[in-house]
Amino acid sequence: MSSWEVPVHRVKAILLKEWAEAVRIKMVLFSVAFLPLFMTGFAAYLVWQGRALPEEAQAALLNTSLLYFFILPVVIPLSIAAYSIVGEKEQGTLEPLLATPVRDWELFFGKALGPVIPGLVLSWGAFGLFLLAARVMLGKIPTGVLSLPWLLSIFALAPFLALFAVFVTMIVSSRTTDVRAAYQFSSLAVLPVLIPLLVYIGRLTAVNLAFVGIEAGIVIPLDVATLYIAVKLFRREEILTRWR
Amino acid sequence: MIRTEGLTRRFGEVIAVEDLSFEVRAGEIVALLGPNGAGKTTTVRMLSCLIAPTSGRAWVDGRELNEDPSHIRATVGVLTESPGLYKRLSAWHNLRFFAELYGVRNAEEKIEEYLRFFGLWERRNEPVATYSKGMRQKLALARALLHEPRVLLLDEPTAGLDPESARSVREFISELKGAGRAILLCTHNLPEAERLCDRIVLLRTRLIAQGTPEELKRRLFGTKVVVELANPSPGLVSSLDIPGARSAELVGEKLYVEVEDPRRDNPVLVRRLVELGAEIIAVREAETTLEDVYHELMGGAGAQG
Repeated sequence: MSSWEVPVHRVKAILLKEWAEAVRIKMVLFSVAFLPLFMTGFAAYLVWQGRALPEEAQAALLNTSLLYFFILPVVIPLSIAAYSIVGEKEQGTLEPLLATPVRDWELFFGKALGPVIPGLVLSWGAFGLFLLAARVMLGKIPTGVLSLPWLLSIFALAPFLALFAVFVTMIVSSRTTDVRAAYQFSSLAVLPVLIPLLVYIGRLTAVNLAFVGIEAGIVIPLDVATLYIAVKLFRREEILTRWR
Repeated sequence: MIRTEGLTRRFGEVIAVEDLSFEVRAGEIVALLGPNGAGKTTTVRMLSCLIAPTSGRAWVDGRELNEDPSHIRATVGVLTESPGLYKRLSAWHNLRFFAELYGVRNAEEKIEEYLRFFGLWERRNEPVATYSKGMRQKLALARALLHEPRVLLLDEPTAGLDPESARSVREFISELKGAGRAILLCTHNLPEAERLCDRIVLLRTRLIAQGTPEELKRRLFGTKVVVELANPSPGLVSSLDIPGARSAELVGEKLYVEVEDPRRDNPVLVRRLVELGAEIIAVREAETTLEDVYHELMGGAGAQG
């Protein structure tokens, strides 16, 4: 067994445990399943409404719908992430967990990836479902919808936004002793997504490569900085004394 | 296996543990006794590398605390104050998760072995939320033992267990000692500590006393002899001037005499009492319990929480 196998093994164990717990909580399961279905349904409804419009108008409508799939990877992990931390607090499981040989970073990544992976998988699945629905309703997917900027936004930028949201949630949780405050402050993690959303809705710019580049230029360094702070704060003693 | 030297932990202005030095050798069970807030949990947390000492040093399984925390955590089995189990998951799932984190070989066999030992096998697939307090405590104990740790830190291992289960857990802990493990046991159950432990460490932020239960009793109370008398008289105590007697007290029909050496002093005491006209019904050694020691050292009221 190489020295790298064991840590990955532990991250995987934490990941699987997080998921095993999450699927047993109706509230988490509902919010995780409901959001993608609702967003997909709503986006598909917009497409259906605009089926008689000229192709250019249809493309504009679909572009607006795509924003939902940009938001989903950020919103879905939050309910899982919030629970993964609150759950440890509720059940008093932190101490036995921290008493194991698991390293701080293994625990951090297990806890962070636990919510991010299902968030991305479900969002991309919902996006696929939406494209299928659009194809069925319109007979084709309008030109310009599957553009490189949008694909980059959904498949490359959204994971970074999702990570940012989860890192912020973990920082907040490691600094607060109040569960409600943790939930409220965690909602700030959605802010970076709101910026492109507002910019786009305000028609200040279109989602083009320059726009994706600027957003990536902001979000990726922000991710690195947040990761640095989160890992710095994600220490046994800090977690044990703050998360109780 | 465990050794501390001047171990101290402060939380801001509050001193949780101060200048604590003690040792737990392989094959030994040592009880850490003290009232609530005495620093027992803080000590356990320092020894399991959950929190760092402010000053002082400690070694667990030959390694200093800050040297290799991951190794120490792999060596130590911790039973925390509350069971701390994932209540939505089954007993099997809980143990499986911790087996992965500890890197237990033959995990499935070990899990089955412990679940069977603690009588949880039949309900292994049910969520822990449906378990009684005793069952949860047993499961937490199984989790602490799963990776066969050489050092065990047990915080109230029999708390919440019915007498039968508590007895089987105590017997099990005794067996673990036989396997050469070093066991530090935090408990408020003084008879349990007396029955189970080789040595006692009394703590109230600072070390109050340490030694075997017998040493502590002797140090505090010496060897007391009880003489039951048919005709007790108040003047008896003042007339009882024998060399080996440290103190004497008459309570009802019982005369309590603290002697230095029972083999040497008891015959002298009996002879002197007969000379003084006392009618002796029985002579026996007075029973002093660890509870007496505890209350004497901790100041009695409010000492136990």
